[in-house]
Amino acid sequence: MPALTIDKARKEFPSGDDTIVAVDDVDLSVDDGEFLVLEGPSGSGKTTLLTLAGALATSTSGSIRLGDVELADLEGNDRSAVRRDRIGFVFQSVNLIPFLSARENLLAVRQLGGGRIDDDARDRADELLEDLGLGGRGGNVPDELSGGQRQRVAIGRALMNDPDLLLVDEPTSALDSELGRQVVELLRDEVDRRGVAAIMVTHDDRVTDLGDRIVRMVDGALVDA
Amino acid sequence: MSIAVRELRRRFGQFLPVLVAMTLLVVLLVVLGAFLDGLSMSQTGVLRAQGDRLLVLSEDADLAPARSRLPDGTINALAQVDGVDEVGRLSTVATTAARDQDITDVVLVGYDLATGILPAPPASGEAVVAANLADLVDVEVGDTLAIGPNGQELAVSAFVDDVSQGSPTVWVATADWLDIAATVNPTERPVPQAAVVAGDVDPDDLAAAMGGLAVATVDEVIAADDVVTQQSSTFQGIIGVTFVVTLLVVALFFVLLTIERIRLYAVLKAIGARTRDLVAGLAVQALVIALLAVVVGIALGIGLTLLVPPDLPLVVVPARLAVVAVATVVVAVLGALGTLRRILRIDPADAIG
Repeated sequence: MPALTIDKARKEFPSGDDTIVAVDDVDLSVDDGEFLVLEGPSGSGKTTLLTLAGALATSTSGSIRLGDVELADLEGNDRSAVRRDRIGFVFQSVNLIPFLSARENLLAVRQLGGGRIDDDARDRADELLEDLGLGGRGGNVPDELSGGQRQRVAIGRALMNDPDLLLVDEPTSALDSELGRQVVELLRDEVDRRGVAAIMVTHDDRVTDLGDRIVRMVDGALVDA
Repeated sequence: MSIAVRELRRRFGQFLPVLVAMTLLVVLLVVLGAFLDGLSMSQTGVLRAQGDRLLVLSEDADLAPARSRLPDGTINALAQVDGVDEVGRLSTVATTAARDQDITDVVLVGYDLATGILPAPPASGEAVVAANLADLVDVEVGDTLAIGPNGQELAVSAFVDDVSQGSPTVWVATADWLDIAATVNPTERPVPQAAVVAGDVDPDDLAAAMGGLAVATVDEVIAADDVVTQQSSTFQGIIGVTFVVTLLVVALFFVLLTIERIRLYAVLKAIGARTRDLVAGLAVQALVIALLAVVVGIALGIGLTLLVPPDLPLVVVPARLAVVAVATVVVAVLGALGTLRRILRIDPADAIG
């Protein structure tokens, strides 16, 4: 069973008397361990598709399944729980909690939803920071880290709860080309090592070769890359 | 340790404005409460000195001891009622006390029964004096005070605290009170105003046994005092408004904080935080801020009351402080919960893009 199955997903937004179709009957599946690159021009619907796949928004029609869970069937706290436990997000602007250290940013994911930080969580955070080359930086707050280090902490946070699906939004947009490639290579390695399914939205042609598959989106629909 | 508490510790400066505002409001509440209690206690010392005894007044007095005049024979009749252990007279009259060149207004009180506060009535020619009178006329035990228009001399036998009734009080045996009251108002025969009853007797039963008389507890008589109730309601109103201002200050602060954090909250929601996690975090922060404000505010408020001139009737009552503390904490948490609607509206999808 694919980690993510999108079947005729459609997302419409009202705009005055008109309707804007942001995602137009998209079919897509991503397998465990597959690193899918989603590219396309601005306004093509990539980010909207990412919000649908990440249970951040609901589709107007169609089906989006995470494993065997139909996301449209989830509401409120159940959607929050799926996002917390089964999906990892890496945001374009990193969005770490500014007053927490790198290690605490990872552990915070465990605390959300009323969870407790136990030895297992601490070991997991330390292991991730070590794997991401941040073993000596766990006590630093985001302001004390470079852009690349912050992005790596964000990757660690996304992996903290051992998700089934990793959603990555423009991870290189705030990094120079060398650092951007390093970060995506790191993502690629983590996907391979952990067997997690991943979708990376990007404009950056310099990193698309790191994906297993490239899908192009234009005007809300998928086209051949 | 929760994320909210970590933020509070590491970004304390961010919370300083609301802490300062709340602390000042707590100081205001402590001082207002001290004025309320001080004014109330300074008006009711004679009554409160009677403890848990019952007061018997003439029915037409509307529970105002100064308007009451007990019919002759009332004391003996009360002593015959089942359950009554002791009966004494209690009467007051406003007059003056003089020592050397110092003259001050006093309330002369005639009484028969010792209480937890008052010693037994002094011998004829002696008086028990409210301690605050000593500050006004520089008098000590053994000194003589000239009381009333004829300057009736009374030797001070003891001092007692917290027995004021608007003015300091001078306590004498009822027989001396009757003599001096006759000089204060020569046109009217002085009559004992109230009876104080000790014993295991129900007020309603006592009232039924004593037709034409009103029987009430000390608290009921105090509650019927127009001056006390007007002062109390005025101060309670001001205190209530202060609590509303506190609520608005806290609510406004946390709403502004939430607006500032919309992006952060969208991210937290995106990675799995529930709305209740975010609101609970704010409530915890409000709780900690309120507790700090209560501790600092009460300490400053008490300090301020100590700096106020002693002739102002300020009394810090622990029960009042407890009410201020609990109410401030509750109001602060409610203010923080005012962000619930705004947090509910934050869309986790805003974390992307």
